[in-house]
Amino acid sequence: MDREFGQQLIDHLQAGIILLDQEGRVLAWNAWMVRHSRLTFSEVVTRRLDEVFPEMQHTRLQDAIEQALRFRLSSMLAPGLNAAVLPLDHQPGDRRLARRMQPLIYVTPMRHAQYTCLIQIQDMTAMVRRERRLRAQSTQLIATTYRDALTGVGNRRRLDHDLAAIFGDAQNKQHSLALLMIDIDDFKAYNDCLGHPKGDECLILVATALQEGLRQRGDCVSRYGGEEFALPLPETDRDLACSIAERLRLLVEGLGLPHPASRVGQLITVSIGVSAMVPVGEQSPSDLIGQADQALYQAKDEGRNRCVYFGADPHAVPLCPHPLGPIAVSSSRR
Amino acid sequence: MFQLNELQYDALRELFNLGVGRAARSLSLMVQDAVELSTPVVTLVKPADVATTLLGSEFRQLSLVMIDFTGPFDAQAILLFPERNALAIISHMLDPDMSPEELSEFEQEAMCEIGNIILNACISALADEFAVEFQGGLPMHYFSDTDSLPLLDLGGDRIVLLLQIHLTMRQERIQGHLIFLLSVSSLAILRECVDAYLTRVGVI
Repeated sequence: MDREFGQQLIDHLQAGIILLDQEGRVLAWNAWMVRHSRLTFSEVVTRRLDEVFPEMQHTRLQDAIEQALRFRLSSMLAPGLNAAVLPLDHQPGDRRLARRMQPLIYVTPMRHAQYTCLIQIQDMTAMVRRERRLRAQSTQLIATTYRDALTGVGNRRRLDHDLAAIFGDAQNKQHSLALLMIDIDDFKAYNDCLGHPKGDECLILVATALQEGLRQRGDCVSRYGGEEFALPLPETDRDLACSIAERLRLLVEGLGLPHPASRVGQLITVSIGVSAMVPVGEQSPSDLIGQADQALYQAKDEGRNRCVYFGADPHAVPLCPHPLGPIAVSSSRR
Repeated sequence: MFQLNELQYDALRELFNLGVGRAARSLSLMVQDAVELSTPVVTLVKPADVATTLLGSEFRQLSLVMIDFTGPFDAQAILLFPERNALAIISHMLDPDMSPEELSEFEQEAMCEIGNIILNACISALADEFAVEFQGGLPMHYFSDTDSLPLLDLGGDRIVLLLQIHLTMRQERIQGHLIFLLSVSSLAILRECVDAYLTRVGVI
């Protein structure tokens, strides 16, 4: 292949082509390079690439060229790891806007007396941008699929996901995890009495209060279904879980939402079932849910607006009387 | 089977440790955070035993970066990480906030480059210390499971130099393997290079 044809060929390529000699000086610079660097061949020929682009000193690109010249080793530089290493334009006007091309660069040694290193540059800017946009969209979509449409807290999928992760972690590290099942007392009566729109409003207020109450710990409450919420707690033993449950119970009561049809009092209240375990053997997240559910039923049976842990003595003597009637049983009994 | 003696193993461990040190410096520079690579454990195994060795570990789905090197001896160098760990490495390098699930297109390129850095660093350390020259190709990245490791298809006259390394970055510790696939004749030359190196440094 003659020299002129070779030049034509590299000028037609839709990629940057640079050829260097043994000293790292530019011997060839194709039309793509001229277009994107705005430097002509005569401006760069016989100059070292790190003179042409002083900012590439101490970068991986310089290392890669050094490796090709000295050791005859090839390298590739990905855009994700070497953002905009060279001052190249993706499109005209980029320089004015201080924008740069995101390149994918290949550096390979050549077996030739003069041309000893080939650099190929591909413009990945559009792809990187597309990738970023898709990622932003997928992040948003993922967030949506994990959120309960009405209340804005996690949904059942979120709970299953979180609980599985926390359970697995507790199993591996052999530490305790806990689960709270939170149910609004006499919610059906509330709905029947005030109508569904009011019922929805109440769910939103309670869910928000629960989530806000947990903000410091970073735990995520999820709607389990209907008027029931669930809260998985990593690295939490029964005592801590009970005190969190009690705090949340008081928080909901403290909202002061009137409940004209409640059998408990005049306000919206919740009952909370608590279970905690260090998972062993064949135990699974559903065991923890089952236990929390059982504790929740016990709390309901014992008169609602209270926290009960799984395995608590039924009808145990309450320790602290509650101003609004029924009493927080097991959680405060420590 | 072809063997290396203790002294030769020591020399290789030292040489690869040099390379791994260089790689750690390059990686740290790139992510602007400390990346540590442990001193490799060097063993010599048959290709068929590679899978057994790896199957015994946590490896199932693998991420592989391969580079072919030619020179006084030829070698196919492979950096191998469990896929889940590979994703962890990439997400740490690209963006600590990115979850592994979000990585897609970037991952192959980035994995390729990380493998490229580690393998080139090892080969350039060998080239330096043996005073020889290698020609290295561009890296290629694949996913594979242990059952279909490309190594297993190869004939019996090949030998594997297996290096186990740990990569530590931002409190994450990741186990990986460096595999150098050599023909018996290449291994013989490698052994000569090692002996020449040992003579030069005055050990034998």
